[in-house]
Amino acid sequence: MKNSTKYSRKVVALGLIASIISFQSCKKSFLNVDPAQNTAATQFFKTQDDATKAVSAMYANLREWNNIAFAPIAVESMGSDDVEKGSTASDATFFNDYHKFTITAGDAQLGGFWKGQYQNINFANQILTNVPGITMDETLKARYLAEAKFIRAYSYFRLVRAFGDVPLRLTLPKDASEYNLPRTAKAQVWAAIETDLTDAANVLPQTYSSADIGHATKGAAIALHAKVAMYLKKWSDVLNYTNQVMGMGYSLFPNYEQMFRTNHKNNQESIFEIQCALIPNNPDASNSQYSQVQGVRGVTGGGWGFNVPSPELAAAYETGDPRRDATIIFRGETTPEGDKIPATGDNPMYNQKSYVPFSLYVSGFNEGCQQNKIVLRYADVLLMNAEANNELGNSAAALIPLEQVRARARAGNNAILPKVITTDQATLRKAIYQERRVELAMEFERYFDVIRQGRGTEVFGSRGWKAGKNEVWPVPQNEIDLSGGALTQNPGY
Amino acid sequence: MKRIFTISGLMLLLLFCYDAAFAQNVTLKGKITDGKTGEALIGVSVSVKGTTIGTQTDVSGAFTLKVPGNATLSIAYIGYATQEVAVNGQTTINVALQPQTNELQQVVVIGYGTQRKLDVTGSIATVKGADVAKQASPNALSGLQGKVSGVQITNNGTPGKSPDITIRGLGTIYGNTKPLFVVDGVWYDDISFLNPQDIESFSILKDASSTAIYGIRAANGVVLIGTKRGTKGKPVINYNGYVGLQAVTNQVKMANANEYATAVNELSALNGGDPIFSNPSSYGKGTDWYKQILRKAFTTNHEASISGGTDKYTYNYSFGYLNQDGLAKTNNYQRYTVHLSNDFKPTKNLKFGYTASGLSDVSRDVNGDIFHQLFGAAPTLPVRKADGSYGDPNDYGTGDGNNYNPQATIDFFNQRTKNKRFTYNAYGEVTFLKNFKFKSSFGGDISQNEVRGYSPQYFATLKQQSNKTNLDINHTDVRNWIWENTLTYDVKIKDHKITALVGYSAQNYRTKQIDGKADNVPYVKNGSIRSSFPDTANINFFPTPGSQAHNRALSQFARVNYSFKDRYLLNASIRHDGASQFYGQHTYGNFPSIGAGWVITNEDFMKNQKVFSSLKVRGSWGKIGNSGVPINPTVQVIATDPYLTGLFGNPLKTYPGASINSIVPPSIVWENTASSDFGIEGGLFDGKLTFEGDYYDRKTEHAIFAIPVAGSLGTSNSSLIGNQATIQNKGWEFSLGWRDNPSKDFTYSISGNLGINTNKVLNVITGQNPIYDGGEGIANGALATRTVVGQPIGQFYGYKVTGIFQTAQQVAASKQPGAAPGDFIYQDTNNDGILDSRDRVALGSPLPKYNYGINTSFTYKNFDLALDFQGVAGVSVYNANIAYRFGNENFTQDFYEHRWHGAGTSNTYPSVNVGKNSNAAPNSFYVESGAYFRMRNAQLGYTIPGNFLKKLNISKVRIYANAQNAINLFGYKGFSPEIGGDVGSRGIDASVYPLFATYNFGVNVTF
Repeated sequence: MKNSTKYSRKVVALGLIASIISFQSCKKSFLNVDPAQNTAATQFFKTQDDATKAVSAMYANLREWNNIAFAPIAVESMGSDDVEKGSTASDATFFNDYHKFTITAGDAQLGGFWKGQYQNINFANQILTNVPGITMDETLKARYLAEAKFIRAYSYFRLVRAFGDVPLRLTLPKDASEYNLPRTAKAQVWAAIETDLTDAANVLPQTYSSADIGHATKGAAIALHAKVAMYLKKWSDVLNYTNQVMGMGYSLFPNYEQMFRTNHKNNQESIFEIQCALIPNNPDASNSQYSQVQGVRGVTGGGWGFNVPSPELAAAYETGDPRRDATIIFRGETTPEGDKIPATGDNPMYNQKSYVPFSLYVSGFNEGCQQNKIVLRYADVLLMNAEANNELGNSAAALIPLEQVRARARAGNNAILPKVITTDQATLRKAIYQERRVELAMEFERYFDVIRQGRGTEVFGSRGWKAGKNEVWPVPQNEIDLSGGALTQNPGY
Repeated sequence: MKRIFTISGLMLLLLFCYDAAFAQNVTLKGKITDGKTGEALIGVSVSVKGTTIGTQTDVSGAFTLKVPGNATLSIAYIGYATQEVAVNGQTTINVALQPQTNELQQVVVIGYGTQRKLDVTGSIATVKGADVAKQASPNALSGLQGKVSGVQITNNGTPGKSPDITIRGLGTIYGNTKPLFVVDGVWYDDISFLNPQDIESFSILKDASSTAIYGIRAANGVVLIGTKRGTKGKPVINYNGYVGLQAVTNQVKMANANEYATAVNELSALNGGDPIFSNPSSYGKGTDWYKQILRKAFTTNHEASISGGTDKYTYNYSFGYLNQDGLAKTNNYQRYTVHLSNDFKPTKNLKFGYTASGLSDVSRDVNGDIFHQLFGAAPTLPVRKADGSYGDPNDYGTGDGNNYNPQATIDFFNQRTKNKRFTYNAYGEVTFLKNFKFKSSFGGDISQNEVRGYSPQYFATLKQQSNKTNLDINHTDVRNWIWENTLTYDVKIKDHKITALVGYSAQNYRTKQIDGKADNVPYVKNGSIRSSFPDTANINFFPTPGSQAHNRALSQFARVNYSFKDRYLLNASIRHDGASQFYGQHTYGNFPSIGAGWVITNEDFMKNQKVFSSLKVRGSWGKIGNSGVPINPTVQVIATDPYLTGLFGNPLKTYPGASINSIVPPSIVWENTASSDFGIEGGLFDGKLTFEGDYYDRKTEHAIFAIPVAGSLGTSNSSLIGNQATIQNKGWEFSLGWRDNPSKDFTYSISGNLGINTNKVLNVITGQNPIYDGGEGIANGALATRTVVGQPIGQFYGYKVTGIFQTAQQVAASKQPGAAPGDFIYQDTNNDGILDSRDRVALGSPLPKYNYGINTSFTYKNFDLALDFQGVAGVSVYNANIAYRFGNENFTQDFYEHRWHGAGTSNTYPSVNVGKNSNAAPNSFYVESGAYFRMRNAQLGYTIPGNFLKKLNISKVRIYANAQNAINLFGYKGFSPEIGGDVGSRGIDASVYPLFATYNFGVNVTF
């Protein structure tokens, strides 16, 4: 008995020891656990499918909050005389600081705008760095690289316009020493944008098959380049680029008001727009809040009512211009889609260009998440062409595209919007500025247009705009803090 | 591998040498009683010295044991001095144990074993399970608050969440700052699943020499918890039940409707708008939303246990039921717990047993936003309109900041959280060659969590409606296990006593989560994540990426304890840990420790003095690690979030998107905490007065945490994890206790403890540049904390307010031309004539300098009374709620009454436009003292005299009442000065959870 317990005890002990040893021998593999939640990035950028996914992600980021909602409203719209903060007086009052030019570097929207653009740039740089090494269809590869350059140029354009000198990152950081870039002189940033757009235009196709609609086209790259050249006052370039686009088969959408409805996405006038949609069961992919933040307050399917048209804008239209009604939702009106706008409420006017009929609202989704955001359209190109021609002294040539825009707005009613016939450069310049204002109203063009036209003090001065300071916004304070002094502040802030 | 063969070779050798001889046995009987009161002591360990022969006393204090006639009995019981009695052939030995006459003789639980307190060279605090359980709190941790010096417990206020616990300051920062909990040998991050009634003892290991044996996870201290086990004897049945009430205390008063309407009209005017309310006074008091939604919440708790056993086996089974209403109406929590343990001793040298705990709970949840909604809700809003429909904020146009009717929020919120959790441990223990013990222990945790939310189709208000239904089920599975083997060698040769331990451990942790949701499906209360949806439903299944985890650890460890004549003590340990989180480069870490002690009272020259019953000095040093980092932090992963879906084509199609939008450090090394501890402890006057003092210096090197990175990197997560800083926590801990029983009817004890901690950053990765953080919870995301060399980590940082602008002229003449009357005037601290970000200064530290507790207990005849107090001092909190505004949220009454509303009305509080950028910028106005003092627990009990009960076969009945957190004293203007949070945003109060007090009435019956 004694022996047997002793024996069994030994068996137990030996068994344990054996298991310890066998356990220890597989020690190395035991500690090698896959990161359960995600695949390691080293597995990515191996196939054509990976390249396609990276391109999809880059475009998707354009609908993200900081790219399409509060931050662009603050940085690209709120300084303009066409808009007011909207909503209730006490809601999101930081917008007033942009409108009154009392903004300080600590405001979150500056940081949001900054981050949103640099995220786009990172997605583009990921493609530009990693896709060249993938074995895939070479034509598609070249196109993807060109698309990445287009998005990168678009994002740097928005940054340099808003902040002046900005860190210029054209490759992925190799290591931590490259994490904290100082600001690059804006001339270099503009040059990099132009290089990217030239490269993109050389490769991008003029049109896509129906499955690929939404990707950047050659027309988009050239039209954006025209705009960049316009900001740089390179008028002959503007003329050249706009002429190229005008030969590509774009045309004005006949009904100005309907052009902005969700059933006319990517129409013949559209050159580049950010694709947005309501994807059932997938609110995360239906994440655009572009329409929601500007939507009519106080109704189901409306929105928050920020960035509303100002009385100055309402007064800016020529008598009878149908674009006034197409651009502004007035309190108490019934929209062409049959939505009754409450007669009382916080704001007398709302942006109609971002409006989505209330009946399309689905609970659990952002109101109006179906609305595409138009970035470039043909009327814009025509007006750039007119402006360039006039600046170059070809006022007669300028009148042609200008009239095209007015004729569409006129919609056959010859009693309104008479043809502009002046060939006096200064008078015509004013007419083109005016036409740009009303044609592109509420499309985030006005504020920086006025600044590039050198009219900041004239138009915004009464609200506090000061030359030598307000051409650019302050660099976000958080970014300056995080840079440990590598980033400097703009003068006057 | 070499080491392993050495270990196993040694064991084989020992097995083959195995031989033993036993002396003639006698059957010994006896009874163990309390030397002071004469009461029978239950569960006292009676063993033959130097062997594993032993038993425990039964319910009447009696024991029976077969022992060699020449044996020496060792009788040990927690709280009493261990006594040794020579058997000398006697067959009956009755022993009266002296309570705590020499506290150094107490047995304390240490890592992988037990020690006499005498032999301990580190800093270990013990708390009896009963002291915590008697507070009648559903979570054991809250009962520890104020009990132990250096242990800071912060009730974070979130109902149902475990409190935060930190030991000796904030040393580790990233992820889990909680200590390691070891329950019956199994490692846990949290003990919320334990019914406090099932806990026998807590052992809190504070210094590195005690914790280094748990190397990998010991950086934040270790709490060892033993659950109740059976004792030999007749079955003892115990019932404990209480009913309780929770009620909001120290409620922050909000402005009433009239005041609110006045304030928002002012706010609108300041922002260029029209008045929102034409006649503020017509609204009167309006709706008190806190009163409307919160309630006095009831708790019912029942617990029953049975324990007993024989020489060969013992058992302890218990069952618990808790039904607790939440403070918010509709919120309810029900918990069933079962705890089973058995120990078997088939032969003298073999022992095995298990513990198995089951938990099943279901919570009817309340919308997490409700407390913020209550804080912001307009008192002008009626709960319901005259026609019975919900009051709609949209009718008043008060904006998006408070667009909800809180009543509708709770009425249409349908979410249930269910947990099923099984935790277990099984062990086997073989004693051989008299001095050797081999123990193998396997344990783990299997749990399932389901969150089932349903949104009905409804219309309440403009912002609270749904034109479809939605069912969302989230399912989490956890499978963890730990296997540990230890070999202990225990020997006493003359004056030399040696205990040596070697062991190894393997651990595996795995969490999987999946979420499924579908629109327009009916509500199903039960069922699996798949079967709950109808076949026709268009279900969207996706795993939540951040919630999948798998990691493993593999470790070896060894320890030697040596003592000479019970006077000179030496402890040394080493642990070698491998963690999968670091797989690839720095997988392994080594964690050594050493400790020494001198028991002065055991010296010959102390023999004749009567003052000190015990006196010991001790010192220790050790190095410990922390594996609480994300899995493979240096491996960059692919982002595949749904928001990255590409949308192209006509007709439109979705294209899954993926890319890389994060950065990772090129390498990351183990975070090391090196700490030293010097202590003195002892007792005076027969142990009536006890004291303990410690000085510690704890340095966390290569501290791992995430810091924000430049936005120009373009990453979506804007932080980078890495070895960022070296942090030092230095401090003192004192405790002092007095206990006495002046008469047979009256005993009392009073003890106090104090911890003083100084936190200092010794270096940061950014060099001379500070780390800025703390943007979360601040209205405009401005970074409100700064970590800079030489200062405490995560200091508040911002502008210094010197007053309020009274007039436009004053603004025009100031350095803040964009300001308006009613705005803060900031100090130009660098005197450069302009006010900008360079004028920001340090505003206070969120880390408390002082933590203290006072615990008292009194018994008089059949009455017992305990009063526990606790507090912190030398701490600041950042009241972010004041400026966290988006529109017309309500104001606190304090703010309303003191606000600036015209020249001369206030020079300290700003106007109601406090939420605007320049006013919401982090500044000194928001930094307040976080000091508080509270009566943590007050309890009165009465034990019904025994004579009457004996007839009913009842051995004991005690009735009691207690109150927790009934008295709270603090100056802070928010809800509660107890603010937790991650480093960098610690102390920023962005929550609005009311403090609550608990009152319980209970009965305890022993059969």
